[in-house]
Amino acid sequence: MRRGAEGRTRLLLIILIVTSLLLITLDLRGVAVLKGARQASQTILSPFQRAGTVVLSPIKDFVSDITRLGRTRSQIENLRTENAELKSELLNRLSADAQLDQLKSILDLAGRAGFKVINARVISQGSSHSFAQTITVDIGSKAGIKRNMTVLSKFGIAGVVKDVYPNSALISLATDPSFRIGVRIAGSQQIGILSGRGNRSANLQLIDNLTTVKVGDILLSRGSISNRPFVPGVPVGYITSVDNSAGAIAQSASVYLYTDFAALSIVAVVLGASASNPGDALVPLKPKPTPIPTVTIYITPSPTPTD
Amino acid sequence: MIRRQISTAVPIYIAIYIFQEALINQFRLPWGGFSLLLIVCLIWAILSSPEIAALGGFISGVLMDLSQSSSGPIGQWTLLMVTASCAVSYLGSGSENLSDNPLGFTFLTTSAIVLLEIAYLTTGALLGVTVGGLRHILFTLIGISIWSMLVTPLVLPIFSRLHAFTFDTRSAL
Repeated sequence: MRRGAEGRTRLLLIILIVTSLLLITLDLRGVAVLKGARQASQTILSPFQRAGTVVLSPIKDFVSDITRLGRTRSQIENLRTENAELKSELLNRLSADAQLDQLKSILDLAGRAGFKVINARVISQGSSHSFAQTITVDIGSKAGIKRNMTVLSKFGIAGVVKDVYPNSALISLATDPSFRIGVRIAGSQQIGILSGRGNRSANLQLIDNLTTVKVGDILLSRGSISNRPFVPGVPVGYITSVDNSAGAIAQSASVYLYTDFAALSIVAVVLGASASNPGDALVPLKPKPTPIPTVTIYITPSPTPTD
Repeated sequence: MIRRQISTAVPIYIAIYIFQEALINQFRLPWGGFSLLLIVCLIWAILSSPEIAALGGFISGVLMDLSQSSSGPIGQWTLLMVTASCAVSYLGSGSENLSDNPLGFTFLTTSAIVLLEIAYLTTGALLGVTVGGLRHILFTLIGISIWSMLVTPLVLPIFSRLHAFTFDTRSAL
């Protein structure tokens, strides 16, 4: 009985091994049925695998987070540091671009007027608790800066040198309430005195009461003896409103200053000017309006009316 | 009798195969992971008679051959599983202490798995299957051994009881 069972087992084993060898042979010979069996198996398994992915994804994420906790933390820290560096670099780049733009404009302005200038970087904004409008620049007497020199921005007059130190200088801005500058109206050459009001709007007092001024008139610096404190012909601002009140001794007007004092980072101190007056050569050009493209659509009616 | 036992074992193997393919394979376990079907089939084979073990090995071998992760030709795992299942069944039935000794059981299963993998590599090399470099093979073999050693004691009580409940042949571990 036992020998019969052993013989049956042996026979079964031989049959199974032979079947296996047959399967291997058929597969190696490239029988399509066997290839199809594997494909069919995968087709059947796919929904289970998709379901498994859905079910296991939170667990996998959790396990992944746990196993990568240290690495993730350090990676986050590295990315934060890198991000901060890139942000700083970007800010520096933007700042440098803005400074370059200002510098180019200032040099262009000074070049057209024939001024000898030295560029300076604004290192400090004056505190406003004393109601003064000042800035500090990074060059001083060592660079040839003296009191009462004109300070230019890329738009025009920015201020005047108030105090000089060996390596820095204090600039009184055109917005400072104590700031006064002799100006003339471009074109008509009428003269007046402009005084700061603490903001970008300044006050103009015209000397001649018979002068006619109008909104939009451009003011240029009149210039001083030996070009100090002001060189001539530098744009200052334009008139925004005129006060024609009856009985006033002198005509007055509000002036919008060209210089954007809030974005002042580079200025130029005028060390010397050419003997010739630039006149109205530095009057800023009016911005050209950007043409807005229009699109014309032609609709041709259908020859046959539709319902 | 055999037909009844096999008809009961087949759904279990298929369920484990689906579990392996759909869930266990989703985890990219380090060092190759483990094959639950392989472990269960060997446990089943140790607990069964050689006839049942051979048939169980054949079924599980076919299933393993049908897996997309199998790189060899269809029939390679079948051949190896039939042989290995039969062998461990003989070894298991020859050792009286094995059924009461989970450690020995684990050792036998793990050893069988390692030998099976080596046999798979050898036959694969003969059949022209690309299996990777020596370093990769060694790491995978060590990994599979460790994983099998860890997983076998965990699943052994479950499948031992399931086997005893289904076939009522040997005592549950």
